Amino acid sequence: MMELLEFVEGTGIATWVRESPSIFAYTLVLSLHAIGLSIVVGVSAMVALRVLGRFDGIPLQPMAKLYPLMYTGFWINAISGLMLLSANATGMLQMTMFYIKMGFVIAAVITLRVMRPKLVAGHAAKGLAMALLALWTGAVIAGRLTAYPYFVEAWLGI
Amino acid sequence: MLDALGNWLATFGFIELMNAYDWLWPLCEMIHFIGMALLIGSVGLLDFRVLGFGKGLPIARLEALVPLGIAGFVANSVTGFMFVAGNATGGPQAYLTNLAFQIKVILMLLAGINAIAFYFTGISREMATLGPVDEAPKNAKIVAAASLVLWISVIMFGRLIMYNDTLLWFLGI
Repeated sequence: MMELLEFVEGTGIATWVRESPSIFAYTLVLSLHAIGLSIVVGVSAMVALRVLGRFDGIPLQPMAKLYPLMYTGFWINAISGLMLLSANATGMLQMTMFYIKMGFVIAAVITLRVMRPKLVAGHAAKGLAMALLALWTGAVIAGRLTAYPYFVEAWLGI
Repeated sequence: MLDALGNWLATFGFIELMNAYDWLWPLCEMIHFIGMALLIGSVGLLDFRVLGFGKGLPIARLEALVPLGIAGFVANSVTGFMFVAGNATGGPQAYLTNLAFQIKVILMLLAGINAIAFYFTGISREMATLGPVDEAPKNAKIVAAASLVLWISVIMFGRLIMYNDTLLWFLGI
């Protein structure tokens, strides 16, 4: 009997549950997802506000130099997001709110890309900047809501 | 002492408020994340530029973004206070005794002291003399690097609050 218990304790699954290194990995990936969000959404917001005429002491054209930083934030989140998704694929893919979030993210990234050449040319594309602010706000709100499925179902019925 | 502080925080009535309005906690979470992005987008961006990224942007002009970062910080202090004072399960004590939360608060204090160092040791004034593509002096870079590391760690330990057991396991406590 003891031998059997020791055998069970020694299996990969048991070791994993007991020592749960992957759970720590999960929390680190979750942290990275918040950090990447701050970079891509935060810097995007500053660029958008400048395009809209705020902080006009900052020259407009050099704001285009911030694209590599914004894309770094985006890629941190694309990769960490895929990892989080793989950890909870069935849960996330059954949630309408997850698809709403992804819709906002994709639209925001397209807007960001379309805005780049205009910024390089020194043109203040105010409509795009406003769309960018709205889309990132939508993405953050929808993203946060994926953590509250019961609340979303009760209030929105999805 | 933490018990007394927790009991005092519970007297604010936020627990009852959170229970009465189930949308309040998720709403505070959304504001908390947007405030976080504003802080990193403004203060973090200034830090990146001081470190030499995004040359062409004058450092002194980027400092105009800092009030937006302060606004984000204030929004997050208010919503953060509501999370702690409005925590139903385990009460405010559950936060106060949470190691990840304690580390987060200490890191925020250090980030505050670091920001004061930037403005009150003359480093900020030195920035005004730099041109758009100039390299910042070394002392400014040290402060900027510390700011980035501290704020990113604040985010990380903020996320770890929910996974405090895992943190304790990792530290072998």
